[in-house]
Amino acid sequence: METDRPLSGSRRRFLGAAALIGLTPKAGRPIAGSFVNDDHLFGHELRHRGQCLKRPQAARRVSAVIVGGGIAGLSAAWRFDKRRFRDFVLLEAAASPGGNSRWGENSVSAYPWAAHYVPVPARRSAPLVRELMEELGVLREGAWAEEHLCHSPQERLFLHGRWQEHMEPEIAAGARDREQYQRFAERMERFRRSNEFTIPMERGARPSPLDRISLRRWLLDNGFDSPYLHWLADYSCRDDYGALSSATSAWAGIHYFAAREPEDRGPLVWPEGNGWIVRRLLEKLGRYVRTNALVYHIRPEGLRYRVRTEEFDYLADAVIFAAPVFLAPYVVEPAPEVKGFEYSPWVTANLTLERWPKTNGAEPAWDNVIYDSPSLGYVVATHQSLKTRQEKTVWTWYHALAYAPPAESRRLLLETDWNYWKEFILDDLARAHPDIRQCVRSIDIMRMGHAMVRPSVGFVFSEPRRAVARLNGRFVYAHADLSGFSIFEEAQYRGVQAAEHVLRVLGG
Amino acid sequence: MTAVLFLSVFLIAACGLIYELIAGTLASYLLGDSVLQFSTVIGGYLFAMGIGSGLSRFIRSDLVSRFVTIELMVGLLGGFSSALLFLSFAYTQSFRLLLYLLVLIIGILVGLEIPLLMRILKERFAFHDLVAHVLTFDYLGALGASLLFPLLLVPRLGLVRSAILFGIINAGVALWTTFLFGQKMRDRARLRLVSFGVLGALGAGMAGADKIADTADSQLYADEVIFARTTKYQRIVLTKWKDDVRLFLSSHLQFSSRDEHRYHEALVHPGLASIPGARRVLVLGGGDGLAVREILKYPAVESVTLVDLDPEMTKLFATHPYLRNLNANALNSPKVRIINEDAFPWLQKNDEMFDFVAVDFPDPTNFSLGKLYTTAFYRLLKRHINAGGMAAVQSTSPLFARQSYWCIVETMKQAGLEVHPYHVYVPSFGEWGFVLAGHRKWEPPQQLPQGLRFLTAAAIPSLFLFPTDMQPVEAEPNRLNDQVLVRYYDREWKQIVH
Repeated sequence: METDRPLSGSRRRFLGAAALIGLTPKAGRPIAGSFVNDDHLFGHELRHRGQCLKRPQAARRVSAVIVGGGIAGLSAAWRFDKRRFRDFVLLEAAASPGGNSRWGENSVSAYPWAAHYVPVPARRSAPLVRELMEELGVLREGAWAEEHLCHSPQERLFLHGRWQEHMEPEIAAGARDREQYQRFAERMERFRRSNEFTIPMERGARPSPLDRISLRRWLLDNGFDSPYLHWLADYSCRDDYGALSSATSAWAGIHYFAAREPEDRGPLVWPEGNGWIVRRLLEKLGRYVRTNALVYHIRPEGLRYRVRTEEFDYLADAVIFAAPVFLAPYVVEPAPEVKGFEYSPWVTANLTLERWPKTNGAEPAWDNVIYDSPSLGYVVATHQSLKTRQEKTVWTWYHALAYAPPAESRRLLLETDWNYWKEFILDDLARAHPDIRQCVRSIDIMRMGHAMVRPSVGFVFSEPRRAVARLNGRFVYAHADLSGFSIFEEAQYRGVQAAEHVLRVLGG
Repeated sequence: MTAVLFLSVFLIAACGLIYELIAGTLASYLLGDSVLQFSTVIGGYLFAMGIGSGLSRFIRSDLVSRFVTIELMVGLLGGFSSALLFLSFAYTQSFRLLLYLLVLIIGILVGLEIPLLMRILKERFAFHDLVAHVLTFDYLGALGASLLFPLLLVPRLGLVRSAILFGIINAGVALWTTFLFGQKMRDRARLRLVSFGVLGALGAGMAGADKIADTADSQLYADEVIFARTTKYQRIVLTKWKDDVRLFLSSHLQFSSRDEHRYHEALVHPGLASIPGARRVLVLGGGDGLAVREILKYPAVESVTLVDLDPEMTKLFATHPYLRNLNANALNSPKVRIINEDAFPWLQKNDEMFDFVAVDFPDPTNFSLGKLYTTAFYRLLKRHINAGGMAAVQSTSPLFARQSYWCIVETMKQAGLEVHPYHVYVPSFGEWGFVLAGHRKWEPPQQLPQGLRFLTAAAIPSLFLFPTDMQPVEAEPNRLNDQVLVRYYDREWKQIVH
């Protein structure tokens, strides 16, 4: 298995060649930046929670507590508020809510830290996404607002020295590749019509042998051997699940391709990514949210639950645990069974550019992918700008550490410094943009040890996942983890479902 | 040692030929008539080399130092020859003078090289060997250069960088000569220092080569360039041939002074003349002030707001004597307000209303410009048009880019505008299309302002008739998230050009 390693060799070669013709960049142009949002450390904090637990604290009475302010938690709060249920708090460990939809902003643009789009739903599907988007003015009288749909060109791929317009490798694709693209599309269409691959997944999912093999295996078993198609499958799995196709359940891999049939050309995007949705939700829900409120411990106390944070204890009639499921055993008493929940480590970076690098081939798109790069490429935060000319911009660079086992990659994340990643990122981008180093002013980097749950082979229909997803009693989970893969629609669905359940339980 | 010496011969021969090729190529690029340019440049160069060879006999002492000095001069002059020529073409009238002057000086210097080198080497080799070897490597260098130049240098590095690269090689030869023959030189320390200086200057030139090429790009303009400037947004070039002045923006023709009146009268009057008592007018794009000139022919118009991204463009057309004359000093009228901003965001943040809007953007050649032709843009535009108002939109050619034209019409229709497509013949452009649009149906004007050179009220309805080869074709509307127009446009104009 390939491991994530620095690319300094190629950089040296490039500089050597450049020096020969006097092309070397001005030496010593400093690039600023640091690691930001080091939340993966929370896990460690939780493990040292002993002292805090000893201290007795006054308890506040509240009907419900939502633990976690990502999309699932905020969606639960959204539903509570809409049903005029207001006696609850949402506890967010970080300084600002958003979870994987967190965002940042500087003088050039707002930008995402992780989730950066919501696919346009298929006709008559995803009623919750529609409901929310109508409320936010994105869906107006049945039509998706043009300014929120990703502008042309949506995507491009750097392949064999130039940018092409679409993600499917076209340059030097042979008859075999094209035949397999075609056949693959037909197979996915058939899966789509089977109604087994739906969003939310719970609606259509039924135990399937496809969950017992990897996507890579499935491709090979079905006569798909085009290297281009395998690259595309791998890319898609890394992009949505943070894992290689050989480590992804074929069921989940197929879900990526077969669950969507957008009714308009999308996706829905904003400069700050899904942070835009968080922002808008917070305008409505801000009063319920307590930030910097790390929950150390949750245990039953009579008919209620005691939820401990550093500042207060909450005595709640119901708890929605909307934080990543892997944290539950450290917090919840009695500790739940979370076997099989694996998480992909990620690194994302926001690069602020003083000017655009040169481009060879297709125009800059929203999503820009480099073929055969270990990274996932970059997304342009200023893409939705209506200006015809932009001097400066912000790029969000994505990298799922998929090539090594997660634990090993997590170790790498802790051992490497900012400089290591800065070089890694610039070397990666220099493949497609040799002059990138002269364009970048700063690079802020975010490390996530447990960025997203992984639909590994056998996980989607495993008992631990289904057990955690079951809604009963006054303590329920709500997170995209419950679906086995981390997408906006699933997180929102789980949050709303949990809220509806709690309302039923408390009302009845 | 011997190998190194003959490598020097090889390299300086290659450098010599490269400068000659660059001068010839540049002259044919910029002046046209490549047979004439190449013949005169090659002839002049060879003749100058002859002069150099003849002059070499006057150099009596300290041959190595002289040789190094000559190498450095060739490196510096040859290296920057291409940049100098480009810049002189863009900014001065004396391109030809400089061209032949450079050819002459570089030729003389190059002519000095081989005789000097042979005299330096004459003690090391028998005469018959020396002549054979030096000339062999001299011609080999020429072969190398003549292959490298068209296959690698011009396509990969361009003319400016290629010249500098070979300048660096010349200076490099000078530097290593100071090491090879150091003992024979009186002032080797000084010459070494100068060599480093020359190398530094050339290196800096290499780093700044982009800027030079940008400032004096190799666009082919058939006519004499009377003004050229690269702004933050575009390259503005004015050319003149007899009484015909042409404006090119980033090498796209914007107008020819001979027939621009047809274009601008057609853009403004069918719409504006049909709105009785129009007072507030907006012009988007059109920083040349020519549409404003037409608008100011209506005394009732109280204010004209001109939104053009490029301040250099509006400044040029407000100050340049010839251009002020062309636009009747429109941009200095007290009624005119100039705003140098991007039109789409400007419209979005602004809530002013207008009776008439002239939309004169560059053609949708890329996705950035294509945004200005989308349903989202026209919906926004519609919100700025008064109840009885109209907008006229330049919409590329319904003949050369038929589907593009009807795509723009369809897009405006989708945005909820009442559309009236029309076209006019502009000789320097060909058949050109516009769309008139408003909240309601349009009625042709009964009267036009005095002093028009092309339009008459009676002729206006005929502009709205489309002959068979320009009639409507199916086209999708152009939307921000699906810019079909850019694809149509790209396909259709490619067919015309190739």
